Formats: sequence, C-alpha cells, structure tokens
Amino acid sequence: MAKGEEKTLGIDANWPGKVVLLMGIEAIARGALEAGVGVATAYPGTPSSELVDRLSKVAKKFNMYVEWSVNEKVALEIAGAASLSGIRAISAMKQNGLSVALDFLSGLAYTGIKKGLVLMVGDDAGALSSSNEQDSRHIARMLDLPLLEPATYQEAKDMAKWAFELSERFSTVCILRSTTRILHGRGNVTLGELPETTYHPRFDTSQICAPPMGRASKSHAALHKKLEEIRRFHEASPFNAYVGPENPELLLITSGTGWLYTAEALKTLAAEKRAGILKLGTTWPLPHNLVSKYLIQADKILFVEEVDAFLEAAVRDLAADLVPGRVWRFFGKSTGHISPFGELNPNIVIGAIANLLDMTYRPRKSAYQKECDRIASLYVPSRDLQFCAGCPHRAMYWSLKDALRLDGRDGVVTGDIGCYSMGQSPAGYSQMKTAHGMGSGVGVASGLGKLKQFGFSQPVLTVCGDSTFFHASLPALVNSAHNESDFILILLDNSGTAMTGFQPHPGIDRNAIGDSAPKVDAVELCKALGIPVTIVDPYEVKQTRDEFLRILKKDKGPKVVICKRECVLIRATGKGALFKVKVNPEKCLGEQCGCNRYCTRVFGCPGIRWDRDTKKAEIDEAVCSGCGVCAHVCPQSAIDREALS
Amino acid sequence: MNLKRRDPVNLIITGVGGQGNILISRLIGQTLVDEGYSITIGETYGASQRGGSVASHVRISKKTAYSPLTPEGRADVILGLEPLESLRILTLFGNESSFVITNTRSIHTMAVVTGEAEYPRLETIKEGISRLSQKAWYIDASKMALDMGMPLLANIIMTGALVGAGLLPIDKDRFKDRFRMNFKKEQLALNVKAFEMGIAEITQSTN
Amino acid sequence: MELTGCKELETKVIQENLCTFCGACTGMCPYFIAYKGRVILRDTCNISQGRCHNFCPRLSVDFNDVHRAIFGTSYRWDSLGNVLEVSIARSSDNAIRSKGQYGGVVTALISFALKEGFIDSAILTCPEHDGLPEGTLATTKKEVLLHARSSYIAAPTIGAFNSAAQSGKKERMGVVGTPCQILALAHMRVAPSDMQNNVKKLGLTIGLFCTWALSSEEFIGFLREKVSLSEIKKVDIPPPPANVFEIYTTSGRISVPLDEIRRFIRPACTYCTDMTAEFADISIGAAEGIEGWNTVLVRSEKGAELLNKAKRKKILEIHTMPAQNLAHLQEASLLKKKRGLKNIIQKTGNADDLLYLKADTKTVKEFLNG
Repeated sequence: MAKGEEKTLGIDANWPGKVVLLMGIEAIARGALEAGVGVATAYPGTPSSELVDRLSKVAKKFNMYVEWSVNEKVALEIAGAASLSGIRAISAMKQNGLSVALDFLSGLAYTGIKKGLVLMVGDDAGALSSSNEQDSRHIARMLDLPLLEPATYQEAKDMAKWAFELSERFSTVCILRSTTRILHGRGNVTLGELPETTYHPRFDTSQICAPPMGRASKSHAALHKKLEEIRRFHEASPFNAYVGPENPELLLITSGTGWLYTAEALKTLAAEKRAGILKLGTTWPLPHNLVSKYLIQADKILFVEEVDAFLEAAVRDLAADLVPGRVWRFFGKSTGHISPFGELNPNIVIGAIANLLDMTYRPRKSAYQKECDRIASLYVPSRDLQFCAGCPHRAMYWSLKDALRLDGRDGVVTGDIGCYSMGQSPAGYSQMKTAHGMGSGVGVASGLGKLKQFGFSQPVLTVCGDSTFFHASLPALVNSAHNESDFILILLDNSGTAMTGFQPHPGIDRNAIGDSAPKVDAVELCKALGIPVTIVDPYEVKQTRDEFLRILKKDKGPKVVICKRECVLIRATGKGALFKVKVNPEKCLGEQCGCNRYCTRVFGCPGIRWDRDTKKAEIDEAVCSGCGVCAHVCPQSAIDREALS
Repeated sequence: MNLKRRDPVNLIITGVGGQGNILISRLIGQTLVDEGYSITIGETYGASQRGGSVASHVRISKKTAYSPLTPEGRADVILGLEPLESLRILTLFGNESSFVITNTRSIHTMAVVTGEAEYPRLETIKEGISRLSQKAWYIDASKMALDMGMPLLANIIMTGALVGAGLLPIDKDRFKDRFRMNFKKEQLALNVKAFEMGIAEITQSTN
Repeated sequence: MELTGCKELETKVIQENLCTFCGACTGMCPYFIAYKGRVILRDTCNISQGRCHNFCPRLSVDFNDVHRAIFGTSYRWDSLGNVLEVSIARSSDNAIRSKGQYGGVVTALISFALKEGFIDSAILTCPEHDGLPEGTLATTKKEVLLHARSSYIAAPTIGAFNSAAQSGKKERMGVVGTPCQILALAHMRVAPSDMQNNVKKLGLTIGLFCTWALSSEEFIGFLREKVSLSEIKKVDIPPPPANVFEIYTTSGRISVPLDEIRRFIRPACTYCTDMTAEFADISIGAAEGIEGWNTVLVRSEKGAELLNKAKRKKILEIHTMPAQNLAHLQEASLLKKKRGLKNIIQKTGNADDLLYLKADTKTVKEFLNG
C-alpha cells in the first residue's frame, strides 16, 4: 500500500484491479461511478439508503448531482429528467418506495428514456426493517421492464455498470433489483476503471415525451415488441450461467442471493455431482431458450429465490407448452420446500436439497441440539426493539399516554413509519394504534376526523415524523384543512430521518452533499394552511402533557403540536448529555407501595437498571444518555439531575 | 488451534444494536481481503439498531466466496459484545468445537428493564456457554472502556482480544495498520491502546 | 384472573359507580389520580393490597373493626352512631359567622384548634379551583376563613391529606370531611401497620352532615351557565320544605329548584348509609329550623376536649339541642341509613351481600325491619 493511500479505500478509489471489501450496495454505487453516472437520487429506506449516502460523499469529486428527495416518486422523476436530458442517472428505493414511484415509472415505461436510467430496488426479504415483505420483480412483469438481479458482490458492481448500457441500448428504464443480504452484505470486489465524463445535456423539444393520448394501447404493443428484443439479448448474457453435470438429478434455478446459498448447500452436502445450478442474472424478461435448454435435462427442479415464487411461476408457464406430454416436478416456495415467508438462509436450502435428493443431513449432534434448545428456552429471553435511552419519542408517548388517560374519551392515535412506529409496542406504551404506509397516519386521522356526523365521539390524534411529514403527509394535511377534519397532528421533529441514518430532508438546513440549503419551515407551512401550531419540548413531560390536554379540548379542524427535540443518537453517548443523572437510594421506594418500580417497570428506559439485590433503581452509566426525563417521572423525586454545561 | 487448516473459517460477531459490531467486521474483513482471502459478511441494519440483537457473519476462505449467513452449527468463532447475545448465537450456530470470546457486561432487554423477565445471572450464562463450546474467554471490556473514559471503545478492546487469541489468520501488526486507515489522528492513539489492552487481556487469560 | 390491588379498586368501586371521590386512594403514588371529578388509574401497579386498597371506604369496610379502632366499642345500627354530647352552637366571632355556613362552628373550631396547637395544620376543601373543589392545606386563621363555606360538590380532599402526610412537614393534621372521607380516614386505622404512616399524623377529624354530594365537572358546567363562578359568595340548601338550591352572588341571590340539581348527584351517594359522619371526633351540620346555628355531635374524648376548651374560652355559644330538633335529626339520619342499605341490597340482589359493607347481615336485617 502506498504511503499516501493511508485511508480506507472507498467507492471512489482510483485503483483499477484492486480487490476491496464492499457492501453490495457500495458495489452498485461503484458500478454507477464506473458507468459515469451524473445524477443520483433516493429517499432513505433500508436496504437502499447507502447508495445516495455513499455517492453524496463523492459527489463533488465527480461533479455529480446527488439528492435526498422528499419521496421516491420525486426521486425517480428527478433521475428521469436527467436521463431524458442526456445524463446517466440512478435512483434507489426499497420495496415500499417502488410502490410510491409506481405511477411515474409506468409513464416512463411508455415514453422510454434517453441516457441510461437505472432504478435500483432493494427488497427487504424477511422484513428485517420493514412492515411488509414484497417482491418488486412483479412490477417488472407488470410494466414490461427489464430487471436484473446480482448474485454476488462483484456482480452487483458489474451489473450496475452494464445496466446503463442495457438501458440505453433499448431506451428503457432498467431495474436493478437485490435483497438485504447482498445489499448489506460485504464481499470481495475487484475495482474497474473510473471514466472521465463530461455531459452536454439538452432536452430535445422536437420530440413529445409522453404516452400518446388516445393511442396508449398501440404503445403497449410496441412495449411488448421491445421486451421480446430484450429477451433475445438476455439469452447470451454472461450474468446467466450453468454450473454442474449434464442431466443432473436435480436442477436448481436461482437468482440473487439464491446462488450463494445453493452453491454452499451443494458443497455442504457433497452433492455437486448430483445437482446443477442454473444461475440467472437477467431475471426479466426470462431468457426462454436458455432456461429450456437446462429444463429438458432434468425432471426435478428446485427454485431458490427471494421473495416470492416469481421465477418459479414464469418457468412453470414456460414449461407448460414446452414439450407436449412431458411433466416436470417443480419445487420451491409454492410447494413449501423453500419457505414462502421470511428470508432465505443456508439451512433452508440445505434442507430442501437434502430432501429432494433423499439425503439425511443433521447440522448438529442431537444431544448438542437438545442442550441448545433447553438453554435457549430457559435462559435466553428475546430482545425486543426499544427506544434508545433519551429518545424524545419515549417522552412524548409518556405524555400522550397520560393525557389520553386523563381525557378519558378513548382517544385514537394513528401513525405510520419511522422509529416512532415502536409506539405500537410496549416500548411506546402501545399508544399508536394504526400503521400503514408512510404518511398514512395523517390520512387515516383526517378520515376519522370527519365521522362526527355519524356519532363518532373519540378524540383523534396522529403521530408523524419530520421526514415523513414532507414525504407523504402534506397532501392529507391540505385535504384536512380544506375539509375541516377534526384531529391533532403530533409532529415529531427530531432533526432528521432517524431510522435510516439521519439523512437530511427539506426541513433540515443542509442537503445530501453537505452544503447548506434553505429550510422548509413546517410551522410556516401549517400557518399557510390555516392550521394552528404549537411547539413543545417533549423532554418537558408535564408541559407536553398539559399542552396535549389543552388541545384535546379544542374542537373544529386540524391542529398541530410540534414536539421539537433532537434525536439522542445525533450526539454520542457520554458527550452532549444534558444532565448527570443519579438515583438517590435513600429516597427510592423501589417495590414499595407508592412507587412499585415506576421508573423501570412502567417508564421502562434502558438507562435505568433495577438492582435485585439492593432493591433500588440505579442509573446505568454505560447506557444513560443524560436526557434527565426520569427525574420528572420519579414519584418520590428520588432521581437527581445536575445540569451539565 | 486447529482452525488454521479449516476452510471456510466462520466467525460471528454479535451484540446489541449500536455496540459497533459492524466496525469490527469491516476491519477484520478488509485486513483479510488484503491477504488474498475471499470474504463474505452478512449483516443487519436499520431496525436492529434500536436495541435489538445484531450479528455479523464473517465467512473466511482462501478458495471461494461463501454465502452471507452461517449454516446452523458451523460457527467456529463467536465474538460477543454482550454475553446474552453470545449465548444466543451459540445456541443457534455453535457446535462442540466452537470458540467463544465474550464481553461480560450485560445490556438488559426491554422485558428485563420492566421486570417482566429476569436477566440470567452471569454465572448461568457462563455455564451455558461452556457447555456448548470448546473454549471460552470472558473479558470485562465495558469496564475497561469505561475506565478509559470511553464506553464505545469496548468493541475495539474485544477486537484486540479476537486478534490476540490467534484463532483467525490475522497478523496483529498488519491489523494495527488498518487503524491508521480507519481512524482520524485524534482518535488513533486511544483506539490503538484499546486494541492492545484487548490483546494483553486475552493473552493473560489463555496463560 | 384474580383481580388485585388497584385493578380491584377500578373494577369493583369505580366502574360500579361506588366511588365517592373522597380521594383516599390518591396523593400517595403515581397510579391513582383524582382529576375532574373522576378517579383515574393512570398505570397498573402490581402490588396486591396496597394503601389504596386498604384505605378505600367503598371496598370492603368492616364497620365493627373501624368503630373499635376509633371508639373502643362495636358498631351499633342506630340513628346517630356513637355520641357523647349533642348541642347546637354558633361562633362568637361575627367575621366567622358571616363567612361560614350557618353558625360557622366548623371554621371557629378549626381556627381555634390551630391557635391552641391542637393541630398544626388543617386539610379543608377549597371551594373553587377552576370551579372544581379540591383539598387544600391551611395553617392560619386567614387561610381557614378563605375556605369557609359549604360546597356540596364532591372533592378528593383525602388526597391532599395523603400528600401532606407523606411530605413529612406536618405532624398533627386536622381534616374536615364528608362522611365517606371521614370513613376513609377511620379505615386507615385498621390498615396493616406498615401502612399507618399517614394516619399517625392525623390529630383531629371534623365530619360534616351530608345527604348527598354533586358530581363536580357536570355540576360546574351547569353553574357556569347561570353565573360567573368568581361572583359566587356562598351556596346553600335550606331545610325542607324550601326545596331550592340557593346561590348567593355579589349581585344577589339565584334560587334553583332542587329537582334541577338532583341529576348531578353522584351515583355513589345512593349506596351511602352515613348522614352524620359517624366516625369523626366531632360531627357538625345545620341546625334545622334554627337559622344561623349548627348542630354539634361530640363523638370522641378528643372531640369533647376540644369543644370544652372552646366553650371555656368563649369561642362558641353552646346550648342544648331542643328535643324536637333532635328527634327530627334522628329521623332524617335513620332514613338515609335504611335507604342506603336497601339500595345496596337491591344492587346486589342478595340481602346477605352488602357490597362494600362487612357487617353482620342478621343484625342489619333486624335493623331494617325494626
């Protein structure tokens, strides 16, 4: 390593041929750089956030425009605009984000594009950080768009670069689809060349870039024709490969993460001579001839893919008319050999293959397994998600719980997606009663707020994060102002899109590249809508509760309360603490009548421990973030807090 | 230790969201890639940060790339930043030959904080770990880090312990070079010190 | 699942409309709170029988045990309860008489007790706070005068006693309360010994005669429609046959037919058997038919001591109660007692189940029939 390179190699390293450890999504970002991408946009969403995150850090170096857009639809529109003007662009989103961008994407399918436009979709198989499992590949089929799936970290880079070429060759958006274990996993990647790119963008005004009015079905036919051309092109793609014997006992058809799990499974079972793997990278449109070639060599086919039985259904369709009279036995998610729910893992694949090859496989000795089961059931409690020590959402839900109890009219709290979604669980005192997509909290609340004429008498509230507010809540808020819907919007302003890593949004005064940017003021927006706004500090739990109580008494129309307090993760533990907090053991009543462990049992902040031996509460210095809220909570004023400068 | 002849070597780094297991896996992985190894690391982000269990699966091979998750029963080395998580991963992925290096400072689960569940005593966890592994080391990295004034250094101390244990094909000095590339000047000295404390601690425990 | 502790209180008392809003379960912990006329369980405590459980006058009260703890004798089912002396009285102080109710005896006795050091503070009911009355601590005659008049609205006064007792700042408190509030304080004396820290600081109880009390939030809303609350000087329900609720304001007097008020009576009052606060040291009410005078029932040695001192120092004018008035009082009290018992039996549907009352059902049956 040269002395001057004494820093970790990032995606911008100018070192063709060097092997580095990259995340799958970093590899995609690198691939886009190697393709000379000019514009990158996204809205944060696990597992897709890192694309814009990494590209934003090198944007100035490569003269790129990189943006955290307010939502995925706008993100794709911006990338689309760049492409239509002659600049290669990429936009990234998770499966739910694709749902948001769908309308624009369907338009793009019809108009086509100019310079390469790649839509990177990250499906959270297993819903590790999502509220649903959803297979975005169905969208490619629905909209007649090509879709690629990398199977390795190297492929992630290579495919990303190649996707721009495919996109330009056929004048179509190209979907690059992957899942969590590739995007957030790391693997060896050999870097390629970084080009010098200059753009001279121009929008060709001699052309109409729109689906033809009244003749869209003709365009639809043209789209099908284009898809067939792409299919033929895919037949020879180097991203598809077969590994294994001729006429295998079992043919495995994989895409994406399925490849690595399957390859390892065959190795583990020493079955490489009995089974063969057809690894597909050009998942849609499916290269029929290629697949048929291997299909006819086997009778038993197992599909290993994430999330749905997408390939399986397509191949079943293909096989139906392939050879008259021939019957194949297909296995996969639709037969339950691969679990139709949850993410893939090596054990599932090993188990399915062993089953189909009549092999017994026991990963561990049964005595050891029994001991594991015994110990796990007795001594290993599960670890639920909880709010961090010092989280302003915990404090807000605490005040909200009390306000609603005192109000006594069975208030309904709707909500949506963000860290505050934990309001559904005991971590948030089970205050949040609904959660659907981003921004739905305001929509549903404004719906409930129009039901008084039917006799609906419960107060209506909704919680919404500052990023979500701009993403999707605004249309519903405008709607509620115009329709005078009766509800309270509790806007949780913790200064960033916290759940996914503090990406900026329009309410923050800096942009993706780190430059300062004009801040869109939520207070002014509400005022412009004629909606009364108040601001509270959620750490002041009594004042916040009283403000909720005051507003609960108000009647007509929407009202906004902004809970303004920075997320505790923005400042590291130990630094930036507001208070030094300590329990006074002499005043602490602990389990006795008058307290009954109110701070640990009811408030439940992980920064407070219950000592079983001394029977007192104590502050856990390694966890406590110094927010000081517990000092307000303790009924005996047994928690002291000393303000730090 | 006989892992030197094993291929792949499967390392799982586990803890609670926010403890810094991702940094460790990245440092280890990058060092090994430079040595010509094929590395695959499987990790979870996002929701797990909020106090949930996290694990980084590090697959180390000279021959080929393995999948991003360890098959059941194939964990060779478990590095735990939190003792309950060490035990949990061991019950899911361990076998009789597994090695375990774990921090002893517990982080209570939410159910424990509220009093619905009891956090098992450290002796119980240690007993479980020793029953299910070949050898285990227990290090109070959190206390050592708190004494240094930086609780977050616990994961660097544990990294030192892992490297110092000699189970993985990692050279201590080459690994220290890694720090220069990953940490700013101001943080460097402290992190190197923490790393060396980890090595010293495990060398002491082994002897 | 067996209900325990606070959950039992919530289910068997509050949700059954037995809660009198006396406040005895509040002022001690973060779980129960008295708020706008309701007792609310904010969170669940899992202590199986804590102080709230033991103090509540409407969840399992053994009249015999309580009576023995206060007076040393068993409870007798009669009209007025344990009485050492019956008189009519009024304050000798004009200022007190003009501020107080009827003869101003409660105000006079409390001021006197404070002055003499008989008590170091008094828990009274503050008739207006956003219109909703609540318990308040008074230590001077001026403060006592400030709170000197009847309210007729249920207030969680015992909560204030509990907080003051727990704060450790007062050692001998006097409490003026309605029969249910007095019963709660008496009930504390039979609680387990580790729960007696509050009642150890109780120096004197003065009970008020009470037929029923009004639900605060609703009644205040009703009052607000008639008059601005800050203009109210005094309210009064004169004895029958008047049948009105009198509101004395700065600009005059408003008479509201009592029938319009009845819908605000707390449902819990239906199941009350005690008109004269039978467990107090001294019980005081209007002297019906004798305007400007109070009826005074001395029940305990402590009460007798205070009254005699007050007599000697000429704080009060005291006379024997005319026989006719006494008979009338006894009759009214008996009526409430029997009605209360009958309502209880009607609610349970079983003469052997007296709801919150632990008493010998045979004796009760005899009393009802006699």
